[in-house]
Amino acid sequence: MNVSIKQIVKRDGRTVDFDINKIVTAIYKAAEALGGRDEEMALYLAREVELYLAQTCNNDSPTVEEIQDAVEKILIENGHARTAKEFILYRAERTRVRDMNTRLMKIYEDLTFKDASENDTKRENANIDGDTAMGTMLKYGSEGAKQFYEMYVLKPEHGKAHREGDIHIHDLDFLTLTTTCCQIEIEKLFKNGFSTGHGFLREPNDIQSYAALACIAIQSNQNDQHGGQSIPDFDYGMSNGVRKTFKKLYWTNLGKLMDMLYDVDGSVDKIKAIGKEIEADRDVCPTMSNDNDYCLIEAEQLKQWIPEKEIESLQSKAMKYAHKEIKRSTFQAMEAFVHNLNTMHSRAGAQIPFSSINYGTDTSPEGRLVIENILLATDAGLGNGETAIFPIHIFKVKEGVNYNPEDPNYDLFKLACKVSAKRLFPNFSFLDAPFNKVFYKPGDPNSEVAYMGCRTRVIANVYDPNAQVVGGRGNLSFTSVNLPRLAIKANGNLDLFFEGLEAKVDLIINQLMERYYIQATKKVKNYPFLMGQGVWLGSDKLKPNDSVGEILKHGTLSLGFIGLAECLTALIGQHHGESERAQKLGLEIVGFMRKRLDEESKKTGFNYTLIATPAEGLSGRFVRLDKARFGEIPGVTDKAYYTNSFHIPVSYEISAFDKIKLEAPYHSLTNAGHITYVELDGDPCKNLDAFERIIRCMKETGVGYGSVNHPVDRDPVCGYTGIIDNECPGCHRQEREGDEGFERIRRITGYLVGTVDRFNDAKQEEVKDRIIHKVDMQKQEARMETL
Amino acid sequence: MMDQGRTLRLAGVARESIVDGPGLRFTVFCQGCPHHCPGCHNQSTHDFEGGTDADIDDILSAIDKNPLLSGVTFSGGEPFCQPEGLYALAREIKNRNLHVTVFSGYTYEELATMAQGKDNTGRAIAGLLDLTDMLIDGKFEMALKDLTLPFRGSSNQRIIDMNRSREKGEIVLDDKYMNVI
Repeated sequence: MNVSIKQIVKRDGRTVDFDINKIVTAIYKAAEALGGRDEEMALYLAREVELYLAQTCNNDSPTVEEIQDAVEKILIENGHARTAKEFILYRAERTRVRDMNTRLMKIYEDLTFKDASENDTKRENANIDGDTAMGTMLKYGSEGAKQFYEMYVLKPEHGKAHREGDIHIHDLDFLTLTTTCCQIEIEKLFKNGFSTGHGFLREPNDIQSYAALACIAIQSNQNDQHGGQSIPDFDYGMSNGVRKTFKKLYWTNLGKLMDMLYDVDGSVDKIKAIGKEIEADRDVCPTMSNDNDYCLIEAEQLKQWIPEKEIESLQSKAMKYAHKEIKRSTFQAMEAFVHNLNTMHSRAGAQIPFSSINYGTDTSPEGRLVIENILLATDAGLGNGETAIFPIHIFKVKEGVNYNPEDPNYDLFKLACKVSAKRLFPNFSFLDAPFNKVFYKPGDPNSEVAYMGCRTRVIANVYDPNAQVVGGRGNLSFTSVNLPRLAIKANGNLDLFFEGLEAKVDLIINQLMERYYIQATKKVKNYPFLMGQGVWLGSDKLKPNDSVGEILKHGTLSLGFIGLAECLTALIGQHHGESERAQKLGLEIVGFMRKRLDEESKKTGFNYTLIATPAEGLSGRFVRLDKARFGEIPGVTDKAYYTNSFHIPVSYEISAFDKIKLEAPYHSLTNAGHITYVELDGDPCKNLDAFERIIRCMKETGVGYGSVNHPVDRDPVCGYTGIIDNECPGCHRQEREGDEGFERIRRITGYLVGTVDRFNDAKQEEVKDRIIHKVDMQKQEARMETL
Repeated sequence: MMDQGRTLRLAGVARESIVDGPGLRFTVFCQGCPHHCPGCHNQSTHDFEGGTDADIDDILSAIDKNPLLSGVTFSGGEPFCQPEGLYALAREIKNRNLHVTVFSGYTYEELATMAQGKDNTGRAIAGLLDLTDMLIDGKFEMALKDLTLPFRGSSNQRIIDMNRSREKGEIVLDDKYMNVI
């Protein structure tokens, strides 16, 4: 009779020699988890398992599954029920891990062999071309990291909630690596130069290098973070570059004129030397406004070469040329800035940086020139006139600065409207919105609320109330709650809903803190640019091996939400566009989350904030999971996406005014960021009055950040930009004529994307719903409603 | 029997339009058109038997709901086939300080002649023209179709600044929108 096992069959089908110690270890570990330490008992039980299989089952080469079944049976029969339970749990967990590994390999297989057009994972982020080598490499890393964290890093309850779609932990692939985003104070960074880790860059000395270095700063910082990079005061930040260039242009022109008219040898160098001396002694230099004593002081020195009565006219000629040339230099610098930000790859070599720039309030001639020319460069478009995808422009609207006709920068506000009507950017932020105005100090750009990327907002600071500033701060991480699911589960019972919501908010608060603990273990050297170059607030005082835990507290931990509209429909049958009751409940729900976060901030001294989630990868995921679980519920799970944050559904017919009015109150509740969009069907370039009216309406109703969406199409053959249906209005060619189709630029979670192909499935659906209303100016009738 | 003065025959309305005149507009599409321009993009508005009746007060209350509007546009169909009702509506709109744009397949010169009629219709046409801020006149000409033009379908049509025209005593075109792009 055969009483021993010789070999076993592994899961992959291979046969290997039997080793009883493996069973001993498994049983011992299960017992150990319960406090047991009896190795002999483990050995005894393992022998029983072997005996049972070999004798009773007459099986001398069992499979792994058969052995595990036998272990369970023997443990229970021998009175070790609790150990058996532990073993079963362990076995289930191993099965899950194995499944995940298989799933990961399946994902890798799809990434390797499928085209992006048939693989949604490759299109999760519209900014990555998933078909390129670096794009695919990035996805291998990202998908692998996500699985690893789910299995070994996340607290099981957080992992489960994320996996099942109760919550969504954003940028999970970066869980143990870095924080989200940062507002870069460019002027501070440039002062005395900086290093990218591969070389030192001196403090820039003209507007061209200011613009170039700004790009490098954005790119370098992007390599230390996974979210957006923003310059909160681009106009102020660049204006010194204009000042420096203007000075040099004046000197050069004056020098050349002297050489030409008075035959002064080496005059350019002489004038520069004089200028630098005056600057050093008297602290004045030639400026655009020419409102100091520089020219008078300089005139004294010029007497040695030029007749006294001709000096003033010569100086003013040099001024005239300098003014003309500074415009061209600034335009070229801004043009290069935009071009660079659309071509330089960063973030694993597969993405251009998520860049944003805020401007609009600098009223100095130099700052105004920066604003004007960044707008003109954007208006001109890229090399072939294409709409630039980056940076995101945010024009800061402020009464007394640029909002009313008598304001110094009103002309630039008008220009911003004109450019946005053509290029979708700039967006508009409103510094007079009550929740933004409280921080505002005239003339201090660090007190002006800025918005990052698609909508992130960081200004208040519970951790350090003396540092309620924009510079050097950003979001650490954010996690969103699936509102519609809570509503579906509550089945109309509001008490039950709020109970469920509270539990999820608590879970997220806990998860955000867990993630902070991981982030806090990092050192300055882990972020060579963000921390090493002193970009993040307080990091300039730390050394490479210092921990960043303390200064990270300047950042925010944000809770986001998605699908308020579907949530309300599930709860009371209507969304907030449809009834006042729903609007009231919507505000109550969002207010509830905000209140809870404020309490937590007060309690812990951390900046817990509420964000209106920009949900690119998420918009389809939640609804897919909920549809599978609860079936198709009209107005809730019957679309391919959940509506963004507090937005009124894009397919719902509503006037621009009503949409703005209904969404505005949510802006004051979502202190970590928000945006309101108005969809225009038609080309607003041809009707700027309408465009400006909408922006003004946002300002008057207390919106914090808003923008207007409209179709931007372009014919790459003739260059026409506007609305194009089947035929180009510029050259009358049809879409199918020639090799190239028309380009269609659309906005997706705040970023522009040049081709709809790169949208993920849910977003493609949303865009389809969005453009149903488009007036087809060729065949169909004007869109009419009945009264 | 419908009240000629307070009721309009409409094809429909657009509550917020940016393609029917300056700013954000409420557009009233009249039903019935005698011109039958080939290639017209609103064919279904031609039949005088089509459309639905709308009370002027209902139109006004729809307009009043939207404080964001810059003005109201009468389009069609041919607005000047219903001058009495539109004149009454235009008076109310001007009381609200809103801008009035009217599209017509007739030219301004033809309308001016029609306005000399001594009957109610003639007086209503004259009254409506008086209250019009912007008139976009002339038939749609397929051969002159140009999708790049603001508000107009074909380049023969004119955007007339009626306020400046009244001031000057001659037709003054709206240089801002005639010359865009």
